[in-house]
Amino acid sequence: MSARPGGRVRLSGIGLVSAAGEDTAGTLASFRAGRRDPGPVTLFETPLACPVFETGLPQGSAAEGSRTLRLARRALVEALAEAGLDPRRDLQGPRVGVCLGTTVASQLNDLPFYTAFRADGRAPMEAVDRFLKGNLAEQLARELGAEGPCATIANACSSGADAIGTAWSWIRSGACDLAVAGGADEMNLVPLCGFHSLGVVSPEPCAPFDRDRRGLNLGEGAGILILEREEAAARRDAVSGLFVAGYGGACDAHHLTAPRPDGSGLESAVREALREAGAEPSDIAFVNAHGTATRDNDRVEGQALARLFGPDVRVLSTKGYVGHTLGAAGALEAGFTALALREGWVPASAGFRTPDPEIPLVPVTDITRIEGRMALSTSLAFGGVNAALVLERAP
Amino acid sequence: MGLVVPRGRGVDALGRALEEGWRAPASVEAQGLPGGQTPVYRVPAEAMVDPRALRAARRADRLTRMAVLAAWDAAAEGGLTAEGAGARVGVIFATALGPHATTFAFLDGILDYGQAGVSPTQFSHAVHNAAAAYIALALGIRGPALTFTQFHFGFHEAVRMAGAWLAGGRCEAVLVGAAEECGTVQASIAARRLAPPADGRIRPFAFGRPAGTVPGEGAAFFLLTPDGGASDAARIEVAFGAESAAGIDAETGLLILDAGGLSSEEAAYADAAQAGVPVASYAPVFGGTLGLSAFHASAAALTLRRERSFATPVPDHAPERALRVETGGRPVREAVCLRLDCAGRAAALRLRCSRGR
Repeated sequence: MSARPGGRVRLSGIGLVSAAGEDTAGTLASFRAGRRDPGPVTLFETPLACPVFETGLPQGSAAEGSRTLRLARRALVEALAEAGLDPRRDLQGPRVGVCLGTTVASQLNDLPFYTAFRADGRAPMEAVDRFLKGNLAEQLARELGAEGPCATIANACSSGADAIGTAWSWIRSGACDLAVAGGADEMNLVPLCGFHSLGVVSPEPCAPFDRDRRGLNLGEGAGILILEREEAAARRDAVSGLFVAGYGGACDAHHLTAPRPDGSGLESAVREALREAGAEPSDIAFVNAHGTATRDNDRVEGQALARLFGPDVRVLSTKGYVGHTLGAAGALEAGFTALALREGWVPASAGFRTPDPEIPLVPVTDITRIEGRMALSTSLAFGGVNAALVLERAP
Repeated sequence: MGLVVPRGRGVDALGRALEEGWRAPASVEAQGLPGGQTPVYRVPAEAMVDPRALRAARRADRLTRMAVLAAWDAAAEGGLTAEGAGARVGVIFATALGPHATTFAFLDGILDYGQAGVSPTQFSHAVHNAAAAYIALALGIRGPALTFTQFHFGFHEAVRMAGAWLAGGRCEAVLVGAAEECGTVQASIAARRLAPPADGRIRPFAFGRPAGTVPGEGAAFFLLTPDGGASDAARIEVAFGAESAAGIDAETGLLILDAGGLSSEEAAYADAAQAGVPVASYAPVFGGTLGLSAFHASAAALTLRRERSFATPVPDHAPERALRVETGGRPVREAVCLRLDCAGRAAALRLRCSRGR
């Protein structure tokens, strides 16, 4: 490994909310047990029969903001606690940034509002107000008193990964010392109908990288990471042994919804992340792949990862446990990756049974011990966006 | 830079608009309002016809087409071609409201045809990063692409991120821009919430008096390269905080305020107007839009490039202690565009002539 510019970025807190668990402990318990529990949509009425991964977050009051915002708040509480940060004391001022990814919360997609508007143009404006006050990063920055860099990333399904990468770039460029980074998205009617219309929603629990995979399951959740400039973390005795070591992004310039068939965009993003981390492909202990279980994504991603890391690379998709959580996915998966590095094992790639002859690698089918210190998390998205994060554990 | 504004497409269209001053906005359909019409500074359809630039985006919505055209023109002006873009060029797009008209069209699909009958094309175009994707497609950009969506400092954060990519060597050039559209639903909401003035004039110096605003739309893109690049380029910096617009030279500087009646809390702009420093705002040309910072940056760049000042199109209530700018040959070496959010937090884009000029 070579020396890297810009200083190291410590990952001092992880907060996770998904169908796999309300926190990191619950998530690890689900992974250890190989437990997954998709079910029908309960949060709104739909005739679309497809399993989804909802969290147990109860319905909230309008004053609490959107469900996406509440998911993010819940993950934030856990991340701050693990980092040993007091939100009333430690996060104010211009050296604290907030960068969060989302898809649902960026749209004014309230169907009751729009139905009333269409009827006579006199719809109540509460939905508009909630939208205007619900920008994910702006709102959480306000609540925390953080006055540093602030961005909400809407890069479709790589939003969470790109938010972490953006916050990582802020810290490395000196824009802030600490950043709240991650992503959140709620189960919502618009993406459910939209992905259904694209013919990529599976009628059964998803099976990433499996020969007989039939598409994705939607999920909801939030992943929040606390990133700190290493020197700043050391000053307050933050003890986490985890780091975000590299980030790479690249676009396909190919198609709005389909990945570039040769996978070169993903390869470029991964190579950039490895370069930033000062790592070689052989340094990567495992890959937590995007692995949506759609025909196109898994074929292109699997082939690209096999080219980069060889066919024996340890790879898994955690979407079998939590579904595709859209703007939260890249953040949740970065959190899962960091947890696996810390714990020294990865869970089985849930849903996988039969190798696909078009995919020259086989995901892990059991809980698997890992020895290395670095791992990769990949994200692919609408718009031909590719993102890669390298996570690292201290020796 | 590249522009699509209510007076047309291109830098010359902006120049003509700034020379001419205020012109009445168009009227668009607005549901639920007396008369069924409301004023909007709307980009004319004829400004968005370009089969070559829009070849990849021929099925895209208005927001994307405006963004692609502005990015295309910025790339062309900067000498960036589709053949030469590749992996060392990035794109960062900022939008507050995104392709909301497409989102509403998708909701129409749910209401009209049921949840199983919606259009996949509308769904894929309703994501905020569709515009950045089409820009990458049109120009062969294979580097990083980000879309920022927020209501206050999205364009400022985009410029900051581009600076980090350039300084860190990740990119040799970054296309940075913003776009907002005003569809019929937004126009109706704006008519109810933003109290468009009866005469259609935005009064940017009203500073919180009940002046209202007229919504606008458009796109502005800039090709940013490392400092020391083209000798005829301007330099852009972004700063955040209460002092971000401090230190403007009264002789050669210009302060452009992002005030435009979008918020009833614009009184703090009055405090930002510095004694003796020339002050302007061009919201009456662009319309009241959350993307105003990017449009003001384009006006600032044009001021530097043409070595010519442009008067505020509707100068009513101009702050007394600041110097009112007249259209003419006053030399400006530095233009600072100041944005304040609802809580009074500040960010500024500071554009300077490059060393060669």
